Amino acid sequence: MVDRPQPADAGPPGRIVLPPHRARARRPFRDRARDWTRHNLFPSPFGALLTLACLAVLVALLCGIVWYVFFGADWGVVSANRWLLFAGGFPRDEEWRLWAGVGLVFLMIGVAYGLWSSFNRRDLLFLALASAFLIFLMAHGGAAIWSSIWFLAALGLMLAGYAIAVRVPRDDSPLRARANRIGVALLVLGLPVVLLILMAGGGAGTEDFDGFVLNVILAPVGIAGGLIVAIPLAIGRASSLKAISWTCTAYIELVRGAPLLGWLFVALFILEDVIGGSLLVRTMVVLAVFTGAYMAEYIRGGLQALPQGQDEAARAVGLSRRQTLQQIIMPQALRVSIPPLVGQAISIWKDTSLVSVILPMRELKGNADSAIAQTAFLADRIEVYVFVAVIFWIVAFTMSRISQRVERAQGVGER
Amino acid sequence: MRRRTQLGAAALAALLCALALAACGGNGGGDAQSGGDAPPSVLQDVIDRGQLRCGVKGSQPGFSYLEPDGSFSGFDVEFCKAIAAAVLDDPDAVQYISVASATRFELLAAREIDVLIRTTTVTAERDAGRGVDFAPTTFYTGQSFAVHADSGITSTADMNGVTICVQSATTTEQNLDDFFNELGYSYTPLGGEDQENQDAFVAGRCDAWTGDQSNLASRISQLPNRDEFRVINEIISKEPLAPGVLDYDNAWKDVITWVVYGLINAEELGVTQANAAAWAANPPSTAVARLLGAPFEGGDVADFDFQVDPQFIRRAVAAVGNYGEIYERTVAPVGIPRAGTLNALYTEGGILYAPPYR
Repeated sequence: MVDRPQPADAGPPGRIVLPPHRARARRPFRDRARDWTRHNLFPSPFGALLTLACLAVLVALLCGIVWYVFFGADWGVVSANRWLLFAGGFPRDEEWRLWAGVGLVFLMIGVAYGLWSSFNRRDLLFLALASAFLIFLMAHGGAAIWSSIWFLAALGLMLAGYAIAVRVPRDDSPLRARANRIGVALLVLGLPVVLLILMAGGGAGTEDFDGFVLNVILAPVGIAGGLIVAIPLAIGRASSLKAISWTCTAYIELVRGAPLLGWLFVALFILEDVIGGSLLVRTMVVLAVFTGAYMAEYIRGGLQALPQGQDEAARAVGLSRRQTLQQIIMPQALRVSIPPLVGQAISIWKDTSLVSVILPMRELKGNADSAIAQTAFLADRIEVYVFVAVIFWIVAFTMSRISQRVERAQGVGER
Repeated sequence: MRRRTQLGAAALAALLCALALAACGGNGGGDAQSGGDAPPSVLQDVIDRGQLRCGVKGSQPGFSYLEPDGSFSGFDVEFCKAIAAAVLDDPDAVQYISVASATRFELLAAREIDVLIRTTTVTAERDAGRGVDFAPTTFYTGQSFAVHADSGITSTADMNGVTICVQSATTTEQNLDDFFNELGYSYTPLGGEDQENQDAFVAGRCDAWTGDQSNLASRISQLPNRDEFRVINEIISKEPLAPGVLDYDNAWKDVITWVVYGLINAEELGVTQANAAAWAANPPSTAVARLLGAPFEGGDVADFDFQVDPQFIRRAVAAVGNYGEIYERTVAPVGIPRAGTLNALYTEGGILYAPPYR
């Protein structure tokens, strides 16, 4: 990195600083606001009409949502079933394990943001709104004080991790290098450690995972496992050796050729005789295998997007085949593939709701089906499904925001 | 360099072949083993495991659903508890497995579940072709119609030319079609999922709404304006719901059969959850003594070689109560009354009739 004098108004570390010629002229706010409004909202009579019409629709929509959330809906079904939707059959005595896991995941997010990016105003707004929504529903009628406290504690852990990590200077110092290593280790070891917290020493068995907890365990395993499967597959498919490229192609085409539902049947009835293990493990394997086939194609797309010259130049300066792949080709190919890879990750996150359709397992949506079968809540189906939809959206949107940050940090589309 | 890569590729290919062969070999071995001697009874599996794996639906009002704390409740669930109490003397030694309708019989065949109690209708096709055997019916229902109370429709005779909400692509839809064809009546079907049908019916988009009578009754009982609707007292199809077990496993099927019959007999004889223990110690009649496996004057303990404790019915009744108590606790609260329906005892106008325990 070249030593570059930091501009005086650099703001918090990690914030993108526009070059001088793109920085806004500092005119008075009132002038800018007036010009902006005229230019964007009322450029012509027809434009003004459109603006007013859209405004009316937006206001109506907003009023409708606010009325529904605070007056129309009866959230009793959600707050009464918060445990069922969150963890269902997970042993109640071991609840602390779940909150420890949630805390660790939140800490990971906080540290990662603090080290390599920063929370901007929009992130904090999203965080605050999502947390307020969850706590409002959980603690509806004062029912869930402890869940709220645990949740806030996890949130506090995230902000504390962020506050500490963001203070590490972004330079070439040894402190920075150590902080980077800690951050990477936290991300890589996060999932295994969470599983360990949940299961070790008389914790949960593999059949105890239930509700939202099952979704958030299956999806990351599918995504991480998929990446691990996908990278060699993508390289193999591009290999000049027919035996390897044909094998990889056959794998990809076979797996992509059948829907996930079909592969879940395989996990249920066939895989047991092949690899054994509990149903949870078999489901994880199927999700990784399935995701891997798609991700391999996205990475192959990234590989093919690289100019041939990259490879030739690397070989010309004497790098071995392996060094070329590791240091020249893959970093660039992966960077190009981030948008479709994240798309696949979000897709597999939502697909985890399929397990309760086929497998004898229940995740968030399956437990929602069950909540509205309770005698007291037979008429409250909409509320439960709105809640489930919002939860799925919050996680998917979080993934999407994080990927945007990674893309920006990696300069996708800019280089 | 080039040669080394080729060598690597050849080694990889060989490894893959070896893996494939090993997998096939493993399978072949497994099949040969299972074909050799008869698999042990599921009953023995359950005793060895110390836990019953009960396949339920998990999302059916009144029959099986999860409570807010994650535990299971409902009519079907009570039968799981009764079986666990009978075999293992512990009504909580049950692992409930929410099974999808598409995989329920396959899971039973793969021995992933020990018994299937999932509002499953007994049919000839399932009994003969699906590798499943049915215990006695625990709940009789049938297809019926809900109508608007002010519509003047009181029976199917009044339904010529009406619009009927019906779940698409189900036996319900076929039954409806067959029934109206035979009557020579015309009707307009309006298809949709269960919930959509309810909404369409309540909004008045159809004159009648058809489905299982118990389902219609329970859904209507939850509506704020329930008095505006009525379920007609006429059934056009038979839907007997029964526990299913694996074919050719008589020891296990016998136990489940007689737990069901035992709970029905208990109601007939007046044995309840409250008095089961007292009556087992001091039986009021020989019939009760036999049912509860208690010694009585002029006879030994009735032990019919069920391969479980002779007091297994006493255990089941003490754990969940008799059939009537189960019904009142689980199905009645969702708006499915019992009196006058098929599910009443034969002595009270229903068809619930259990053979004698002797």
